[in-house]
Amino acid sequence: MAKVSRRKFLVRGALGTAGIVAVGTYLFRNPIRRQVLAYANSADSPYLGSGMEPVLWFELTEENRIRLYSPKVEMGQGTFTGMAQLAADELELPLSSIEVVHAPSITGNMDSFATGGSTSIASLWQPLRELAATMREMIKTAAAELWEVAVADVVMEETKVSAGKKELTFAALAKQVNQWPEVDTPELKKLSDYKLIGKPLPRVDLEDKVFGVPIFGMDASMPDMVYGTVVRPEYIGATFISADVSQAASMPGVLKIIQEDDFVGVVANSYLEAENAKQAIKVTWDAPTQLQLKDIEAKMKVGNGNPTLIQKKGDALEEVAVEAEFTTPIAAHAQIEPNGVVAHVTDDGATLFLSTQVVAITQKEVAKRLDLDTDKVNIIPTFLGGGFGRRLHTPHAVQAAVMSKLVGKPVKYFFSRKEEFQHDMFRPPTHHQLKAKLTANGKIESIQHDFSSGDVAIDSALLPGFLNKMLGADVGAIRGGFCQYFAIPNIRTTSWHVELPFATSWWRSLGLLANTFAWESFMDILAEKAGKNPVDFRLEHIKDDDAGARLRKVIETAAEKAGYTDKVIDGKAMGFAASTDAGTPCAQVVALSIEKQQIKIHKVTCVLDPGFAVNPDQVKAQCEGAIIMGISASLFEEMTVVDGQLQPTIYGPYQMALMKHAPKEINVTLLQGREVPGPVGEPPLGPIGAAIANAVYRLTGKRLNHMPLQKTLNKM
Amino acid sequence: MKKSLPLLFLLVLLTGMLFGLNTSVHVSNYKTIDKPVEVSNETTFHQLMDVLTHPRCMNCHPTDNLPKQGMERQPHHFDMARGADDHGFEATQCHTCHQKENNPYSGVPGAPHWGLAPASMGWQGLTRIEIAERLLNTETNGGKNHEALVEHLTKDALVLWAWNPGVDANGVEREKPPLSKEEYIAVVEKWFADGAVIPTK
Amino acid sequence: MKIQLIVNGTPQLVQIEDEMTPLLWVIRDVLDQKGTKFGCGKAACGACTLLVDDQAVRSCSYPIKFAEGKTITTIEGLGTKENPHPVQQAWIEEVVPQCGYCQPGFMMATAALLKKVPKPTDEDIDNNIINVCRCGTYYRMRKAIHRAAALNSELPITEQEKE
Repeated sequence: MAKVSRRKFLVRGALGTAGIVAVGTYLFRNPIRRQVLAYANSADSPYLGSGMEPVLWFELTEENRIRLYSPKVEMGQGTFTGMAQLAADELELPLSSIEVVHAPSITGNMDSFATGGSTSIASLWQPLRELAATMREMIKTAAAELWEVAVADVVMEETKVSAGKKELTFAALAKQVNQWPEVDTPELKKLSDYKLIGKPLPRVDLEDKVFGVPIFGMDASMPDMVYGTVVRPEYIGATFISADVSQAASMPGVLKIIQEDDFVGVVANSYLEAENAKQAIKVTWDAPTQLQLKDIEAKMKVGNGNPTLIQKKGDALEEVAVEAEFTTPIAAHAQIEPNGVVAHVTDDGATLFLSTQVVAITQKEVAKRLDLDTDKVNIIPTFLGGGFGRRLHTPHAVQAAVMSKLVGKPVKYFFSRKEEFQHDMFRPPTHHQLKAKLTANGKIESIQHDFSSGDVAIDSALLPGFLNKMLGADVGAIRGGFCQYFAIPNIRTTSWHVELPFATSWWRSLGLLANTFAWESFMDILAEKAGKNPVDFRLEHIKDDDAGARLRKVIETAAEKAGYTDKVIDGKAMGFAASTDAGTPCAQVVALSIEKQQIKIHKVTCVLDPGFAVNPDQVKAQCEGAIIMGISASLFEEMTVVDGQLQPTIYGPYQMALMKHAPKEINVTLLQGREVPGPVGEPPLGPIGAAIANAVYRLTGKRLNHMPLQKTLNKM
Repeated sequence: MKKSLPLLFLLVLLTGMLFGLNTSVHVSNYKTIDKPVEVSNETTFHQLMDVLTHPRCMNCHPTDNLPKQGMERQPHHFDMARGADDHGFEATQCHTCHQKENNPYSGVPGAPHWGLAPASMGWQGLTRIEIAERLLNTETNGGKNHEALVEHLTKDALVLWAWNPGVDANGVEREKPPLSKEEYIAVVEKWFADGAVIPTK
Repeated sequence: MKIQLIVNGTPQLVQIEDEMTPLLWVIRDVLDQKGTKFGCGKAACGACTLLVDDQAVRSCSYPIKFAEGKTITTIEGLGTKENPHPVQQAWIEEVVPQCGYCQPGFMMATAALLKKVPKPTDEDIDNNIINVCRCGTYYRMRKAIHRAAALNSELPITEQEKE
């Protein structure tokens, strides 16, 4: 039973002709360290608010719907649908009455942090229901006062309020009410009373996405819009020296060549004219490095960089009996919608349509560059054609704004695919060393995990570099790095932070994919040494506490649902792995064969305990998507460094899973071990890599210690 | 973007793994023929084979039904394959991406009737002599006599595309076969005029 | 140059300087139909797939000059919310999209496949549907493709012919 907060929702009347606003006040003023750590490690994600009060949440529309302004962006994870369910149930309205839109930053309704880390629904679970319940009471109270009836007699229906024979549409009500009543936040309904929350409803954005409605950043346009583009270096670490723009300036359609201290750009009448002119700009770069991939691999070793002990239990390992090393490569986000923006800067301020996961941060970046007050910069977030962490860094909005200011027109700017690949904020490569000693009866006595990674959460726009010193380890890189088997008496986990010459950052699930690959491959290695079934072996090391109970249950359920066996049957083998990420345990069983040297995954059984599932179908969709993205990353994906350039620069050479690589069977079971929702979007990316490697070992006797696994197998 | 020569060379190396690419060969690199030189039939044969075994030609004459791309003869990305009619699968065909001309924006090569040579004309992995045997055998070459073969080898737009291969996905020109188009045509005509004799080992 | 073409049933006359301009940009920026997506511009991802005379074409690599007199169908012309194409209906029933950006390209490729192969096998799907989806919706897509084939065969004969 959710407890009622003492929050008071203030109400302000009449916005425009038909709108009303509900205003929420949030007081999350935790020290930054606590926020960040809570964000990284807890299932109880705080909603961080915008720091700007008051903020716009709801509006009654002329179409008699209730518009919900979302501080979180929709990038495919289904957040809008979950939010609509949370709001509709407390508003006592059908889902069709709710229209979820991205909150423009001018509403003040921004998450000061980001949309990311699988926290959207978890963090909004309590405040959004409270806001919606308050909104309901406010509407009912206003109608009751107008009609001089009891509040209890007022009923909310799809498009209107009524009491007996009296009724008003939402729009009509909004026009009649001048002074909205202040109401206390009512008690929330019981989980069992919800009609929408907890149900597998279709996505609210389904039709827009099936009929080609222009909802993405790339689809944005403004009257009189022109096209800008920026020259970006092909070499790692290259710095701009000078540019010869003489030829480009006279090319067809070119309106202006932009030469700023930190970038050179072109604005032209069409995209192709801008791109053609860009090709004609002769830039001299200082390209100091002739780096090769082997240089990066040599750097990325446990023992290099700064170590931080992040987990310490019992004694340190003294005698190493079993050890193994694992690596994962540099990986690209490769989201299909390129980073793009439409910016319009006038004397009154700036308006930007932007695919971003960081509305507030980008707003500040644009304001700073244009020397504007922050509230003069209105970022209008669009649907994202994939996020995956790539859009936690969207400073190209600044360049578009500068170009718009200089030409006095709205400017659209987006990356080429080559620029997407070469200027990604990559998933850093990692290196893992695992060491352990078993007891005589085949249990783990001591275990030690050392792993190195580049920046994930450190030095991203979200968390400035000084946090590295403050927090020690990179809070992103350590995701999944901890040992989840707390019954082991002696545990040491050390994170080594290595500086890389190119930008790395958040890639869906952060360190989880790499760390779990190492941990759970090693658990199978140890199980074999111990002469035990891999599932039983894992269960033996789970601590008897709440988290342990949930982990135990997902492991047992997955083994049972999959009919897990360590025998090879009809050329197919199974692989098992489990992870706990931000409080959400997940276990997966992969069934695969190898045909013409190609790993062929037939079926994945997935059991996830995310706590309460607001929309079970979309939680399953996240599991399916994470599994397929994880298969893609584990089997195929890698960026390389050749003569100072990040390569490749296109899909195909950057190999990703296609339809044929996706399992024809994905069986997802949700356990709901808590009464509140927890992280969903990233945790199911954990086990898949190790599950594949463990199955391949079972089938072939070959242990794949290096991603991409298909390439490693080809070389064996 | 202006690049010094070493940089251009570097770029070329780097992008080798991409769609088609390679070292650029300039027309000036070709030998010019000032006067007819008496060459043996075997020399003519090998000049012809120097062209036919170049990736620009060989990539579309696979023996495993998989088109190749680039100087590395990388199997076509996304597992595109011959299909029932040498032009890809039922709905995703060669023409889904490859049009009648090279595309300067995408770097996707194109020519009329873009597709694979028939399976019977697969050359990949064959010796020069075996390739020539397939070329001349009317059971494998689609019933072409010498006259029809000369016509095909010297006039067909897709064959001659090898000398207009366009740019790759990075805008870098694809490498052409080792003879100029004119030299190649002359070699074809001469070899057939001399009786299309396949040298013995 | 002037190009005449039919886009989603409507004749269009467009004036274009560069005859090599990809059809994609004419559809998106000149005719302002944004359902056809730009993903890579290299015919590699398939997000820009549309139909030219009922054949699947990756429009980022299709020069406008070849579109003269051609009939173009994009996602906007495939079906409507009131009267969805079987592929769209199946996509809704299986709740396929996540971010949704690649989906129009996949739906157009599927529509082209069903015209050629009304009852595709899994192998037909694997061979022909080679677009890229980063959210990993392939699992639901495969179900939706089979569902669309079933919906197609449920249509009355006259409707099927119109298809």
